[in-house]
Amino acid sequence: MSDLMSLLSLGSAGITAQNSGVSIATNNVANANTVGYSRQRVDIESLLGAPNVGGVRTGSPQRLGDSILQQRIRGAASNLEMSRSFAASTLSLEQTLMGGGDSIDQQLAAMFSRFGAVSASPTDLPARTAAVGAAGELVAGIGRRAAELDAQHTEANERIRAKVAEITDLARQLAETNLQIARTNNPVLKDERDRVATKLSALVGGNAKIDPDGQMRFVLDGGAVLVDGQRAAKLGAKTDPVTQNANVVVIDGNSERDVTTAIGGGSLGADLKHRDQTLVGARTALDQLAFDITASANAVHTAHAGADGVSGRPLFKPIGAVTGAAAAMGLDPDVEADPEKLALAAIGTGPGDNTGALAMFKLAQGKVASGGRTLTGAAQDLVTTVATEASRAKSDVARDELVAEHLAGLRDSLAGVDIQEELTNLARFEHAASAMTKFVTTIDEMLGTLIDRL
Amino acid sequence: MRVTQGRMIDISAAATAASQAKVAAASTEVTSGMRVQKPSDDPAAWLAAQRADVRRTLAEGANTAMSTSRARLDDTDAALLAVGESASQIRMLAVQGSNASYSDANRRELAVQVRALFASALASANGKSADGEYVLAGATSLTRPFNDDGTYAGGSDPRDVPTSDVGQAVSNLAGTALTSASGVDVMPLFLRVAEALEANDPTALQGLLGQLDTGIKQVAHSRTRVGGAMSVIDQAQVAHAQLGVTLSSEISRQVESDTVAAATNLAKASQQLEASRQVTSFVISLVNPGR
Repeated sequence: MSDLMSLLSLGSAGITAQNSGVSIATNNVANANTVGYSRQRVDIESLLGAPNVGGVRTGSPQRLGDSILQQRIRGAASNLEMSRSFAASTLSLEQTLMGGGDSIDQQLAAMFSRFGAVSASPTDLPARTAAVGAAGELVAGIGRRAAELDAQHTEANERIRAKVAEITDLARQLAETNLQIARTNNPVLKDERDRVATKLSALVGGNAKIDPDGQMRFVLDGGAVLVDGQRAAKLGAKTDPVTQNANVVVIDGNSERDVTTAIGGGSLGADLKHRDQTLVGARTALDQLAFDITASANAVHTAHAGADGVSGRPLFKPIGAVTGAAAAMGLDPDVEADPEKLALAAIGTGPGDNTGALAMFKLAQGKVASGGRTLTGAAQDLVTTVATEASRAKSDVARDELVAEHLAGLRDSLAGVDIQEELTNLARFEHAASAMTKFVTTIDEMLGTLIDRL
Repeated sequence: MRVTQGRMIDISAAATAASQAKVAAASTEVTSGMRVQKPSDDPAAWLAAQRADVRRTLAEGANTAMSTSRARLDDTDAALLAVGESASQIRMLAVQGSNASYSDANRRELAVQVRALFASALASANGKSADGEYVLAGATSLTRPFNDDGTYAGGSDPRDVPTSDVGQAVSNLAGTALTSASGVDVMPLFLRVAEALEANDPTALQGLLGQLDTGIKQVAHSRTRVGGAMSVIDQAQVAHAQLGVTLSSEISRQVESDTVAAATNLAKASQQLEASRQVTSFVISLVNPGR
């Protein structure tokens, strides 16, 4: 009698175990399309067999995840977002330098070409006007690009501020999820934590690790701790009064740590790299080019005379410093107002002399730009530098997409839900549960018969 | 390796998207005819094409200058031709006037003709080009170079123009070619002939014949110089045209697409897209056999 009661208990435990299997398989199928969901497996353990009755015990559902793989996935997400954001930024910069008509080197060549053309008829007002016009177009082209670079700088700062706020919010979510995991150890929460951590990595790079106590710790590049278990620091954007740059600081209690130069991953890392390296490089090169054009053209122009015989006039407004030269560049107002003042003749000759025009035309071949380059060469280098970075960034995107794809495959292999597999499990557990039900029914009937005979 | 149905669908969808991107890129190349649409597509090729384009633009400036100069040299040659013809006729009249059988009245008639020829030669020597410059004035090209007495008041330096982004050629001839700096003062010489005829002075006329010969040679020599300059510019323009073709083909080689190769790539990409779509359909039917 007592053995039959044990068998009844065994049957009951068996039904519970198989029903758990059905429940978990159903849950897996339900989450087949949930992003970041890790499939679960029922943890069924066999109890001791003969001479005892034996049986089965059901543990907590087991989440199929790999923290090392997850770490690699976060690293890949950081690299991919970094290269994607950087590629988008550099392509936008390339468009700024190349878009809206002729490029700077073409505008320079057009100006020199006009001086070449006017050298054959230096007294011809339309030819002089065309040369002044070409110089004006060059000034406008450089000024427009300087303004657009400034706009890109402002946009980069706005993006950085928005991302800093987003990162702070995600860090808080991560700390809260850590707290909930400490309380309930729910596998779904671990999925959520992985999802938040991957999003954080995609934004800011860094490194997330699970501590021995099961809590996730998120450390930024450079070592600043963003999330430590259930405690999250804040990320802030402080405006530099000189450069107007939004600098990134980690605020933990009363302490602040500037991590602007340390962050080298995620889309925030891309924005910082774009703002502090690519844009600064382009702006410096553009300023230097504007300064070199102004200085070299003015040196030629002031040494020659206009149609009125007056010498010493500059072609462009003189610029004192390289910094800000592109925005400050402008045509000399006297020359702009009266093309007869364009200095095409040698001093002391007549207006029909073209020595100045020839000297200006020859300037196209002169290595007068910084680094011993021609002015058109320096203008081309400015674009080529950005284009090479954009080209490299596009290759990086392709490479990082492959890595991310490969890791997604590995994760799917381990933790992805296969519907057919789950349906098979469902059928298996269902059949086992039915069999256990029949088993219990049989034992119940046996017990009934025994009781009736007593 | 375990591959779920979801993963299979993701992979085939990604492959289809990649194939579509390739078709789009190949279509753009075929329709635009450009392999390099922006510098980052191929920075080295873009730079090579841009350098060629800058050279082409500079050469165009030089070519404009050469065309203007060529027209001015034509005007100069025409002016010198007229002066030369006047000089020859004046010499002929001077020979007639130096004949002892000529009377004072005959010489006065010849003097009238010589003064008319001088006026014609002066008008030619003070001729202007299409852009309003005096062709024989040198650097002071807005000032009438020859005074009423034939003395030269213009500049002395010839003007060079660019023939390429590096070369230069002479583009005009200063009126000093007709002054004593190059032989004799040709224009005043005509007046001196007229004055000798008016003074009924055959001896003086005979003395001027040698100078007239020199003047005629001087004008002919000047025309030769102008012809030489024209020839240099003509050759430079031929070279410029060849350079233009070379630079255009260089630009084309660097950034334009090979039509046949681009069309082949488009066909390949289209086939790849079709295959990807079929694979996706197959994967979907595999995952959901009831559909």
